[in-house]
Amino acid sequence: MKKRTFLALGVFAGGAVLGTLAVAKEQLPEHLRELLELGMHPGHVFVDEGRDYYHNLKGPNGKTCATCHGQDGSKLVGAYAKMPRYYKDIDKVADIDLRILSCMTKYIGFDPKDKKFKKKYLKTYRIPLSTYVASLSNGMKINVKIEHPKEKEMYELGKKVWFTRAGAREFSCAMCHTVLAGKRIRLQGLPNPVRDKSYNHWPAYRFGSDRMWTMEDRVRSCFKAYFLFTKRWDEKKDWVKKPPPFVKEVIAVELYMKHASNGGVIEVPGLLR
Amino acid sequence: MKKIALVGAIAGIGLIVACQPAAQKAEAQKPKKELSKYEKFKIAFYQNQDKWQKYCSNEAQLVPQGISVEEFKKAMLATIKFPPGGKVMGDWKKGEKLFGDPKKGGKSRRGNCYACHCGDPQIIACGNIGPSLRGYGKKGVDPKQTYMRIYNSWAFVPCSAMPRLGYWGVLKPEEIADIVAFLHSPESPINK
Repeated sequence: MKKRTFLALGVFAGGAVLGTLAVAKEQLPEHLRELLELGMHPGHVFVDEGRDYYHNLKGPNGKTCATCHGQDGSKLVGAYAKMPRYYKDIDKVADIDLRILSCMTKYIGFDPKDKKFKKKYLKTYRIPLSTYVASLSNGMKINVKIEHPKEKEMYELGKKVWFTRAGAREFSCAMCHTVLAGKRIRLQGLPNPVRDKSYNHWPAYRFGSDRMWTMEDRVRSCFKAYFLFTKRWDEKKDWVKKPPPFVKEVIAVELYMKHASNGGVIEVPGLLR
Repeated sequence: MKKIALVGAIAGIGLIVACQPAAQKAEAQKPKKELSKYEKFKIAFYQNQDKWQKYCSNEAQLVPQGISVEEFKKAMLATIKFPPGGKVMGDWKKGEKLFGDPKKGGKSRRGNCYACHCGDPQIIACGNIGPSLRGYGKKGVDPKQTYMRIYNSWAFVPCSAMPRLGYWGVLKPEEIADIVAFLHSPESPINK
């Protein structure tokens, strides 16, 4: 017990000193480091699960993802490198989460108004499928283009949201991730996703919370720190913790960041604190 | 006795029957319009952004645009309210709790000074966004100034990273006074 406390203190102190540029891998817990040395990555479980859904999850009309996109995702290689982008069939700029949802409702027959399906998609199918599809573009360079008018519009919105200061904490994306990037909130270093092209390792497995996250989860959760509220900030019923999934503000920020990461080589799944 | 009960029961039923349409009418007049999650987000993110935040929502982030710094500071200074009796120093022990409180649940969703500032030298898990506050009481700052800076930091540094804790009501005036006591009092661990 004593040894453990001592170790924890050591890690703590080390974190405080090294602080800002502590690489995620150095903070890895022991069991994960051992797994990695054995060539296992917790995120690969999600890739495998996603591959399984891709080939075997049948929609009401009997199709699977593989029916259109080919065995082992052969037609989806490189698709993630260009996302988010404008899709003619849904007339929207979509990120990977929304693109897969649209495919499932539009082409394999799930009912978009079926709340049960939507919940199942959000909680069960979304992350494994997104991770699998993203992993098909591993080794390729991010190449997001802003060409279509709707893409341009979304990019401008993303930039605006990035710099918008709001909520009882006066936060904006830029405040922490542009202006204060490199500093620490407590012991957590603040990355600069716009300058450092760090979009390349998303979706990522976060060992701090033992969860796989897509960029949509990441962006939505950032809004928790804003202390957003509808009427009064101190009434719990008025708190707005996160924007709902697939809203344009979130996808716009993803587009803004991923465009800034153009040229970064995709390595999915990532491993982060 | 029985008769009275019977009459009472009939009257009761009559009342319920008579009231039902009225109750239904009232319900129809007041349709409960629950806002969707996205509508709530848009209200919180766009509508509730105050004009001072709008001045700061630019690429520089730390410099207001569309207003002079002096005008900005003056307006922010005017928002500062003091606790009853003008006592800017409260109980440092209460202040110590608020200073470190990172909890997000219930009513303690506030304080959290350690996220950006160092304070008690015993606590090393502190951020480096704001200046270190170790030994703050010995620097000869007027406690009233400290109070005002916590209440509305933008009255001194417009668009600063530090939230306007009193302005938004995240901390009540008395609570800010407790934190001021924690920073200034010679018994506080910050000054030891």
